Amino acid sequence: MQTNLLKQTIATIRQQPVLSIVTVTGTALAIFLIMVVVMMQQVKVAPFSPESNRDRFLHANYGSIVSINEGDGWSSNGPISEKSAKALYQSLENPEAITIYQAFLETAVAVLPGSNPVEADLVRTDDTFWRVFDFRFLHGKPYDKAAFDAGLKQAVMTRSVARAVFGTDDVVGREFNLDYTPYTVAGVVEDVSTLATAAYAQIWIPYTSSPVDTWNNDLMGRLRVTILAKSSDDFTAIKEEVDRNYAKYNEEIEPTGWKFVSRGRPYDQEVSAIAFNASGEPDIKGDRRQRFIVYLILLIVPAINLSSMTDSRMRQRVSEIGVRRAFGCRRGEIALQVISENLLITLFAGALGWLMSVVFAYLCGSMLFTQLFSETLNPPSVDVSMLIQGSTFLWALLFCFILNLLSSGIPSWRASRTEIVTAINGNKH
Amino acid sequence: MERKLLKQIKNEWRSNLWLAVELLVVSVVLWYIVDYFYVKINQYNYPRGFNIDNCYLIGVKTLSETSADYIAEQSWEQWIADRQELFDRIKRRPEVEYVSVSSNSYPYNGSNSGTWFSYDTIFCKKFCVYRNVTPDFVKVFKYGGTRGETPEQLAAMLERGEVLMSDNVFMYDSIRVTDIVGQGLYMDRDTTVTYRIGAALNEVKYNDFGGWGHDMTLVSSRDNPIMGNEWCVRLREGEGREFIKNFMADADKQYRIGNLYVTNVRSFDDIRRNYQMFETNTIRNFCVGMGFLLLNIFLGLFGTFWFRTQQRVSEIAIRKVNGATSGDIFRRLIGEGLLLLTVVTPIAVAIDFNIANMEMTSWYNGSYLSAGRLAICAVVSYGLMALMITLGIAIPAFRAMKMAPATALHDE
Repeated sequence: MQTNLLKQTIATIRQQPVLSIVTVTGTALAIFLIMVVVMMQQVKVAPFSPESNRDRFLHANYGSIVSINEGDGWSSNGPISEKSAKALYQSLENPEAITIYQAFLETAVAVLPGSNPVEADLVRTDDTFWRVFDFRFLHGKPYDKAAFDAGLKQAVMTRSVARAVFGTDDVVGREFNLDYTPYTVAGVVEDVSTLATAAYAQIWIPYTSSPVDTWNNDLMGRLRVTILAKSSDDFTAIKEEVDRNYAKYNEEIEPTGWKFVSRGRPYDQEVSAIAFNASGEPDIKGDRRQRFIVYLILLIVPAINLSSMTDSRMRQRVSEIGVRRAFGCRRGEIALQVISENLLITLFAGALGWLMSVVFAYLCGSMLFTQLFSETLNPPSVDVSMLIQGSTFLWALLFCFILNLLSSGIPSWRASRTEIVTAINGNKH
Repeated sequence: MERKLLKQIKNEWRSNLWLAVELLVVSVVLWYIVDYFYVKINQYNYPRGFNIDNCYLIGVKTLSETSADYIAEQSWEQWIADRQELFDRIKRRPEVEYVSVSSNSYPYNGSNSGTWFSYDTIFCKKFCVYRNVTPDFVKVFKYGGTRGETPEQLAAMLERGEVLMSDNVFMYDSIRVTDIVGQGLYMDRDTTVTYRIGAALNEVKYNDFGGWGHDMTLVSSRDNPIMGNEWCVRLREGEGREFIKNFMADADKQYRIGNLYVTNVRSFDDIRRNYQMFETNTIRNFCVGMGFLLLNIFLGLFGTFWFRTQQRVSEIAIRKVNGATSGDIFRRLIGEGLLLLTVVTPIAVAIDFNIANMEMTSWYNGSYLSAGRLAICAVVSYGLMALMITLGIAIPAFRAMKMAPATALHDE
């Protein structure tokens, strides 16, 4: 049966070369485009180093305060202060780790005395940062709790910055000037793609080594928080704990006239990826609906096309079907035959489309995958590990099946319903 | 002739139904995309109210207390004087035409400030961006007044302590700021002090895709604008190519003052690109989507008509024998495709209308839909589809046209 099916499929392709090329092109194109859309979403939510734990992340990139007296109507939305970050998030008991770090990139000047200054994207962090994000250390190690608490002037930098400043990679223990302050290199890490929107920077230093300013009565500042949960099942429990912290903290800060509102924070990776606006709650349902509509259109339009073509092909084979029916072939078998023949073509074309999408994404990644907005002029880099995820492959396969069912469902049903006599008679309708 | 065409379409109703459904779906989606572009193009072409050509942002930071160079006990006056000195030094550079310092004010800036203000008892009903700037800011970004005030005149008003407001700030109370120029404005809930409204500004867009009452602004030059963190410069005509490099080369020698130092210089073209990534990506994605749909129509029509002309060999041959020219055959086939499109178009427009009624389209110029906008976008999408249909059918039709009747009727 299996070899028969293969033979029959190849024969069909041969019989109608032009139609077959159109079918394969149409299918490959559809899968290609769908996979590009899937990948565009994947780079926002799928794990890759140093954000390998994205499925366990909860982010609070911003905070929001409003006047207690509603008549005043003041509000401030943006990164928060260390005091607020600690009170609202760091005291949580449920999560595995909680890191507090700088929300926006800062341009810093790194220089060896007597040589050319190098501009680099700087982020100040705590020591837990290195546990939450899994950087690939090439040399040395991150600054630890003791160094953080003491506010030691230690820095971790990427390989390319190390090369630009020192001319070589292995620079652990060497000193350089960062914004006119001497720092020692604690570690050198592999470059990070700007698509790692939380972990990305080129130089990281303890925020205790270079204080960060605050405003609004020390409630707002320049920091954000990422929580690493033990498991995504804990998200609800963590959010409940956060809500309790909000209530407690709001009591404490009442004299300032401000109160914190959560706006649903902390957000998981998917929500965080669309949380552009600090002053509103992202509409995740709307975003999902939009993505669903895009997939639907990308599937339905080619499916109609392919249906029409499969239908045409079946009309040519109507007498063959008649003969088989006359010899006792059941309707179900005919339908199954049409669907499986079609599936073979779909899978072949789908594999082609998927391959095209990976190659395309790899070659044009810096153009294709971009953030909502960018703080750095460095373009995003893409590596294959981000693009070839197990889940991406499953998605591609799933879309192939859906496309196949959509495009061969009606033709197979019609083919199997053909009356034997009419079929053999050659009457095509 | 037309009746024959209709009959033919009826005879092939099954495969024509597939085509019709496809054309309908694509028609609606294409209209949606064209409508989106219609709005974006119009918004883009609406005057921005500012100009960033040859403008640069200079990154200035303050030394950390932990730096050895940090001057610890600096007086407030000295602190201001240092900033003024940096300002003057930048201004003295030969390439620089104007310099300004501001907070949350430059264009393509995700951060904004707001403030409380009222004219008599009237408040602004929407969010109004409050730009606190040194007077030359309006010269750096070439703001303009509704009565033709030049940036120089506007800067002079700021210098005198007057405020500038975009003409639309009180539009929801049907007041044009142009009509209340010269009158007083209260700020910060303080009704004992009035600020003279110096001029009404042309609408200043928040980015390239706003306009038509989307964006409101209030510009003032009070509260020590020199304390701001945005250092913007406009270069003289013809300067610019080597500015970033030259400026940074002098940074350490010339612009290291007190606790201040310069980190980098970024052109506003880069800032604009970085800020509008989401919009430009969406536009690009929609373009690709549109291309994909059109290509599908091409493939669908091409495939179906390829098959159809194959099936109809003898029919075409007989018509040729009876005196039909090659052109007749070609037109008949194309006509079939276009007629199908024309039949589904009214249904598509009805669906389009409902989509717009459900407010799923972009809000533009006060509504989600206008008759003109619907008509223009429907015509454009019809035209695009007609083009693809013609291209898709042309190849098989050309093949049919070339058919020699004798060969075709060989089997009969």
